[in-house]
Amino acid sequence: MTQCILLAAETAEGGLFDINATLPLMAIQFLLLATILNILFYKPLGKAIDDRANYVQGQLDQAKKQKQEAIALAQKYEQELKEVRKQSQGIIATAQSEAQKIVSDQVQQAQQEVIVERQKASDQIEAERVAALSSLEQEVTTLTRQILEKVVGLEFVK
Amino acid sequence: MELANTINLFNSVNLAAIEVGEHFYWEIGKYKIHGQVFLSSWFVIGVLLIASFVATRNVQRIPTGFQNFMEYVLDFLRGLAKEQIGEKEYRPWVPFIGTLFLFIFVSNWAGALIPWKLIEIPEGELSAPTVDINTTVAFALLTSLAYFYAGISKKGLGYFADYAQPSPIMVPFRAIEDFTRPLSLSFRLFGNILADELAVGVLVLLVPLIVPLPLMVLGLFTSAIQALIFATLAASYIGEAMETHGGEHHD
Repeated sequence: MTQCILLAAETAEGGLFDINATLPLMAIQFLLLATILNILFYKPLGKAIDDRANYVQGQLDQAKKQKQEAIALAQKYEQELKEVRKQSQGIIATAQSEAQKIVSDQVQQAQQEVIVERQKASDQIEAERVAALSSLEQEVTTLTRQILEKVVGLEFVK
Repeated sequence: MELANTINLFNSVNLAAIEVGEHFYWEIGKYKIHGQVFLSSWFVIGVLLIASFVATRNVQRIPTGFQNFMEYVLDFLRGLAKEQIGEKEYRPWVPFIGTLFLFIFVSNWAGALIPWKLIEIPEGELSAPTVDINTTVAFALLTSLAYFYAGISKKGLGYFADYAQPSPIMVPFRAIEDFTRPLSLSFRLFGNILADELAVGVLVLLVPLIVPLPLMVLGLFTSAIQALIFATLAASYIGEAMETHGGEHHD
């Protein structure tokens, strides 16, 4: 079994620490590999990562801006809504007061009309009363004359 | 007798042969290189390139499937660099730190998960590229160069004047640090991954079935941790080199 383990460190050529042209060639090969990987791997994928980071940042900024805009718009609308509400309340109040005025005017007018009508009616009543009184007076006079005529005779009556 | 047959069987399958220090040499001019390291490193590079290609074939804003996974990986790597180097300066260093982590991580996991030993090569054996000291030293030296470059590009030659901070007594210690850092980086990775492979190998040799599994799982954990440590330390050294005296970074 031990013959399988060949330790050739002591031989003239080879061994563990046989440093030769492999070293510089390996170094050159490594530098070439680094250059090729830079072109083939680090640059394109690095760019993709950076681009994505920029894109995400851009989208984030845009979203933030849009959010601010939305908030400003909402505030503006709220303000407008408040004003409109105030205006509508004013309009309602005006309408109510106008309606009140109309109602009170009409009530007043109606009252006036009623008063006029009452006056008219009472005037009429008064006139009719006067007329009735005068006719009654006339009747009384006539009746009195007739009575006198009957009682004292026609020649005494004048 | 039966036991001997079983052992022979396992030896013939060559499931658990451990060959340390044997290399499959390729010769380029008068230079020799370790073929097995390059073969397995090409596999690792292939995996990374294919993964990158698949993930970025059709990049979507809303990631799905593999793109999602690779973005998670990239996010992790960026986080690693950012934490050590600081928010302001980390970006140019992501490819270096990220590739260090990915290469070491995929190497280590490939070494632990893929039965390389079943693929026969003329000499030596295939394993994780990080088992070879050339790889780890290469990475450590690149890290050293990186943090020298970072420091000098940020502060000019004043970077070396910082060695005398807070007192000139520090100069020799800081100079020694410049040697020990790459050494410790390379040996930590090399030692850990090699030790893990050896331990698993020996255990498989002794008790081939089931028993090595916990150690293999532990190996996966160690592999990931080693990749993380290497990348984190590299980033931390670079961050430290660029740090100004006010010490305002690390936020």
